[in-house]
Amino acid sequence: MNRAAVAVDRLEKTLGPNKVLRGISFEAQAGEIFGLLGPNGAGKTTTLRIICTLLSPDAGTVEVQGFGTRTAPEEVRRRIGVVTADIGVYPRLSARENIEYFGRLCGLESAELDRKVDSVVERLDMGSFVKQRAESLSSGQKQKVAIARAIVHDPEVLMFDEPTSNLDVLASKEVREFMVEVKGRGKCVIFSTHVMHDAERLCDRLTIIHQGLVVASGPTDEVRGDRRDLEDAFLALVEAK
Amino acid sequence: MRVTWIVYRKELQEILRDRRTLLAIGLAALATPLVLFVISQVSTKTATQTYTVGYSGDIPTGLDILLRAASLRFVPVPDPAAAAKSEVDLGVAFLPGEIDEYYDPSRQGAQIADVRLQTVLGQYQAAQAAAALQSRGIDPGILTPLKFVSHPLSSPVQAASNAFLSFFLPYILITMILTGGFSAALDSSAGERERRTLEGLLLTPAARSNVLLGKIAAITTISLVAAVAAIGSMFVALSQIETPGAGPSANHITLSPAVVPVMVWLALLIAVSFSAVTLALGTLAKSFRQGQAYVTPLYFITILPASLVLFVPDFNPSLAYYLIPILNAVLVLRDAIVHDSVGWAPLLVTTASLLATGALSWFAALRLFTREALLTRS
Repeated sequence: MNRAAVAVDRLEKTLGPNKVLRGISFEAQAGEIFGLLGPNGAGKTTTLRIICTLLSPDAGTVEVQGFGTRTAPEEVRRRIGVVTADIGVYPRLSARENIEYFGRLCGLESAELDRKVDSVVERLDMGSFVKQRAESLSSGQKQKVAIARAIVHDPEVLMFDEPTSNLDVLASKEVREFMVEVKGRGKCVIFSTHVMHDAERLCDRLTIIHQGLVVASGPTDEVRGDRRDLEDAFLALVEAK
Repeated sequence: MRVTWIVYRKELQEILRDRRTLLAIGLAALATPLVLFVISQVSTKTATQTYTVGYSGDIPTGLDILLRAASLRFVPVPDPAAAAKSEVDLGVAFLPGEIDEYYDPSRQGAQIADVRLQTVLGQYQAAQAAAALQSRGIDPGILTPLKFVSHPLSSPVQAASNAFLSFFLPYILITMILTGGFSAALDSSAGERERRTLEGLLLTPAARSNVLLGKIAAITTISLVAAVAAIGSMFVALSQIETPGAGPSANHITLSPAVVPVMVWLALLIAVSFSAVTLALGTLAKSFRQGQAYVTPLYFITILPASLVLFVPDFNPSLAYYLIPILNAVLVLRDAIVHDSVGWAPLLVTTASLLATGALSWFAALRLFTREALLTRS
């Protein structure tokens, strides 16, 4: 049996007075887009933050390509890239300098760094603005910088947390296409969203979280069942809870 | 160390593109000579200014010439006591066998005029007494049975310059180190949270302790650049400002070569400590503005020791005082400037104290930097 790219097992987490996660479990495989769905406040972002070692769980375990987040956090971070809706870039650095900085922090050096930066710049079609300071870029261009820095070290697992929520239609389309392309190259993509339409089009399998609990999990078609679309299925599941 | 170097280079690159920091350093370099020039002009004006004395009665013969030589201008007034309140600097009533003086001690001009008047009167009375004795065939030397000869062990002008430097130099050094790195430290901590780059940084495999070290090193560098710019411009200004002295070498304020290595060492220690402290405080803040509110009180706390040396110039502390951060640096610098020497014990205690402050602050910053609340609160 193939080892899961990401294995989440009975995850629990309390933030302040709120029990945010109440035993979340799922597995995401290489070469698939795995959807993490749920309304705002369901616990999607907290789950992703635990997977990428920014938060530690109160109970349960997470493994990324066999490395535990508690026992080998740096190895986990070496294997993941994260793109979020908050497009934080260093405004006084150029787009290229932003990408190079994160590449260096991920262990890339000199010729290899140049090659990989050139590669992501070309893949994301950033040539026209790569030398501009980030403060002068549009939201869509900044999002491309954020994606580029997340993938410059060629991670095996990519996590997208509501990546299109601040973007216009064209920029959102490019992000979606990029996710499909990454999946095609055998990477594991975890896509967290509350936009059911996007999830239905992109995800091979998905898990729906509501109030810190998994309410449904499986291939997208199975979760949708005989409902008209995923949104109907989602509403039925959430309301039933 | 590789990560530290990467972060250091990137932080410096960003700082050098930040107008706020460059403006702070530029203003520091310009403001110091400007302040010194104003101080010099005010001092010169005070020393040569003529003060007005309102008088009634008859001025004794010969005294008027001495008073004019002391830059005291005498104008007749009907009531010297009333005039001394606001019209003139000093009021004097010449009565038979008595001189009554009226002055307001709260006015600086009155104080200076009072000193000048008393000095002239002392000389006048001594000369009158000597003349009276001589006319009676008595040696006026009996008025001064003990001959007084003063032998200053160093140039009084240099001593006055050193006293000035012993306050001003530590003040400039501390202020500029703090203000020079202030903006950079907040930008590097609270700024990371505000512009949402912190999460991306923490997602890299880089050890957080190395990331912090890189940030502290960059802030320390920029603090030292600000201090060097301010002190360099201060000495350029001092080399242009003349002080009243006997010989040509005593006309400018100069610094003993022994002070320079001590100053550099202390500047480095203070810069490292301040960088760690401001970074820790900045890490507590969610935004640059909130960070400013946290760090600003630090400025006032650090200025207090320099003020203590100003108000208690002969403050002679025990070794225990050298454990107090910043005060110890001010005291060591004062000793080096005033006495041209530094004791090893105070220097070692000061070094240990400042290093401990820096290490504790670094540890606090690291603890804050690894707290989950850093991300969940934002």
